[in-house]
Amino acid sequence: MSQGSPLLTLSAIDKSFDIHRVLNSVSFELARGEVHALLGENGAGKSTLMNILIGVYSADAGKLELEGKPLKIGKPSDSARQGIGMVHQHFRLVDRLTLTENLLLAADDHPQLKSRAAAREALLNTAKEIGFTLNPDCQVGELSVAEKQRAEICKVLALGARILILDEPTAVLTDSEASSMLAAIRRMAESGRSIILITHKLREVVGFSHRVTIMRRGETVAAGLDTSDLSIEKISSLMMGSSSTSLSPDGIDSKKAPSNVQEHGPDLLAISHLNARRDDGAPALTDVSLRVRAGEILGLAGVGGNGQHELTELLSGIRSASSGSVMIDGADALGLSPRQRRKLGLRVIPADRMASALVSDLSIAANLSLTSVVSGRFGRLWLNRRRMQREAQASIEQHEIAGARPSGRMGLLSGGNAQKVLLAREIDSGMKLLLAHSPTRGLDIRASALVHQRLREAAAKGAACLLVSEDVEEIMALSDRICVISAGKIMGELPGDASAADIGRLILGHE
Amino acid sequence: MSSFRLTLERRQQVSTLRSTTTYILGLLLGLGFGLLVLLSAGAPAATLLDDLVIQVFFSAMGLAQTLTLAVPLILVGLAATSAMRLRFWNVGIEGQLWLGAIGATLVALSDFGSESLRLPTMLLASAIAGAAWIAVPLILKLRAGVNELVVTLLLSNVAYLLLQHLLFGAWKDPVNSFPVSPRFDENEQLASLGFGNLHSGIYVALGITLLMTILVQKSRTGFYVDVIGRNRTTALATGIPVTATITLMILLSGALAGLAGGLIVIGVEHRLTQTIGINTTFSGIVIAFIARFNPLAVLPTAIVLAGIYNAGGTLKVFYGIPDAIVVLIQGMVLLTLLMVQFFSSYRVSLLRQSAQQPGQPST
Repeated sequence: MSQGSPLLTLSAIDKSFDIHRVLNSVSFELARGEVHALLGENGAGKSTLMNILIGVYSADAGKLELEGKPLKIGKPSDSARQGIGMVHQHFRLVDRLTLTENLLLAADDHPQLKSRAAAREALLNTAKEIGFTLNPDCQVGELSVAEKQRAEICKVLALGARILILDEPTAVLTDSEASSMLAAIRRMAESGRSIILITHKLREVVGFSHRVTIMRRGETVAAGLDTSDLSIEKISSLMMGSSSTSLSPDGIDSKKAPSNVQEHGPDLLAISHLNARRDDGAPALTDVSLRVRAGEILGLAGVGGNGQHELTELLSGIRSASSGSVMIDGADALGLSPRQRRKLGLRVIPADRMASALVSDLSIAANLSLTSVVSGRFGRLWLNRRRMQREAQASIEQHEIAGARPSGRMGLLSGGNAQKVLLAREIDSGMKLLLAHSPTRGLDIRASALVHQRLREAAAKGAACLLVSEDVEEIMALSDRICVISAGKIMGELPGDASAADIGRLILGHE
Repeated sequence: MSSFRLTLERRQQVSTLRSTTTYILGLLLGLGFGLLVLLSAGAPAATLLDDLVIQVFFSAMGLAQTLTLAVPLILVGLAATSAMRLRFWNVGIEGQLWLGAIGATLVALSDFGSESLRLPTMLLASAIAGAAWIAVPLILKLRAGVNELVVTLLLSNVAYLLLQHLLFGAWKDPVNSFPVSPRFDENEQLASLGFGNLHSGIYVALGITLLMTILVQKSRTGFYVDVIGRNRTTALATGIPVTATITLMILLSGALAGLAGGLIVIGVEHRLTQTIGINTTFSGIVIAFIARFNPLAVLPTAIVLAGIYNAGGTLKVFYGIPDAIVVLIQGMVLLTLLMVQFFSSYRVSLLRQSAQQPGQPST
């Protein structure tokens, strides 16, 4: 599809937030009339790149060109004026207004749409052109999710978009709705528009896109490959990264340690036939069974949102199961409070540490001593605050938590140092079972390597570790055994030295 | 062509100096606006200092009256503090106060228990009644997730209707044409300290302030409250007894409000009347906010506010300025404090920018 000069070119785009570089010389090219799939795991930088394109962020460096001319975008309305529109996962529609009114609301820069009749007409024409049926006089609040999505697409197109960015358009749709949406996407491309399709579903990529660009960790790992030359396996290995070795600076080894699979000994964690529901009542976990022995790390791989969150909450004791059993160190734990589970030796590093393990508005000393206060180590009725400060100081020195004072506010620490605080608190002498969910999310390489080292040390000291992670490289670097979760089900178990492609196949449901 | 743009940036860390300065600034600003309101309502500028400061804090009778008014204000301030530290919006302090007054009166009128223990029984009854009144929204919140704002607020009205039902019915003093209860016996009144109307209830208020300070700053429960108030999920996940702590602190909040009501009827009025609880919810919350939820700071805050109330009484008698002005001043001080807080946590700056190239990266 890449005949002639490209419609849109983004070249060597850099973007950092504070000290975190999220885009590193990223390039992207879009041809007229193509469906271009943009792929990458969570946090690969896709959203940041698209937000730069539509003017939510501005790039630190790099060039944007439209039809060979420099493209200057300072705010979202600039991109709209250039004919670039994005359909977000969360629609930008006002429920209380009709579809026509929603278009009027968005048509600030479009004098030709400023009358109700003209806006209505434009919506109907757009819908007809791409084969949607919609009623412009219907209140948006009464539409189904799929109808809202069609409405949003029509709105963006009626505003004159010739480049349309679709962020996970099928994530909210049923299978049949999804196939008709994908067919419509092809029709839009055939009518001369260019589509950037962000998706996690590789089948859609292979079936409906012309070209593919893949991002990983803020870099372009494959730019503008022809889809027809690619297989799902090839794409998934590019997405996940094929090598499991990454050596960080400062000599902290992130490489795979010798396997520690434990053939004997008791299961410190035994989950059997566990079922649980999500907050909205849909099944989150279906017949999940896992076991972890002392001294080993079990990696649970999978794309985010497939039940990992519910599983970690359930094991921590802040979510209840609908059936099944969880045994921690031989004791039935399902009916136990978080406090009783901690007494059995459970320690937790949750995915969102600031939301559910630390308190950003309290002091670092308070955060370090939180669980000890609960266990009564600083006094049952009155707290020995001086001892808390003293031990916090010792802990800060021992774990080299940079920039931390016992009385300093927790929320001011960087992600890596905050994670050090959490590790220092959780990995203590009472630990038997360590549950770590995405423990390196948002951390830089050095901090990640340190976290990995701590997890390995924990296992070496005889703890059973359950590592839940969406980062396949992390799973491969640490796990002695690997299980894969998808749609709340355990898809299978692999040995610790399984390849990314093997894991990817299970993640994507190709047995 | 160039244009200006206002930007708002959240400060990473607010220094103690900055937060203290802005706090004092807000306080002064609020009081300044309050003065303007007073002047515009007809208070004479010449004697304002005398009326507002000298008479209420530096004259014996004035100070006695101020401290008498401060006793219940200290308790409602602590009641609000106790709940607000957990981000529990107890806007039914008034209702709990009514129930406390009713509880104490019930013990007095029914001559319940031995005479020698009558006073402590009355105080205990007022605390229990206040706690019982807040138990309803507490249970609804913990069990069914019902918003406490609505329930505590509405129960205040229910409490007031209950009070009127009693004062116009069973408890109406037959020898009085006003809707008030019969006067309590001598042994059912707190000892007067021989300093205006001031009664021994001030010791109760001081003692409870001290206990609350210790509870909040030194105890394990106080630590739990800090965690739960700031991050409930973390509190649950780390095994803090969340429900027990919330139950304790909220019942305490109701009990303190009830005790405030009890102290007013036992110490000052010596009977149940239908005016003692008006506006106490608002005062309690204002005091807690100004004191930044620190029990020890509630003490001076409540005394200053009592002084303003006291001065309000004078202004009303001499210049015909309505009571509502005092509430208005409280509200203004609270608003300015909240507004300056915004300026201590955000940095506002005016940027000059060229409109020609809005998208140019600033390299």
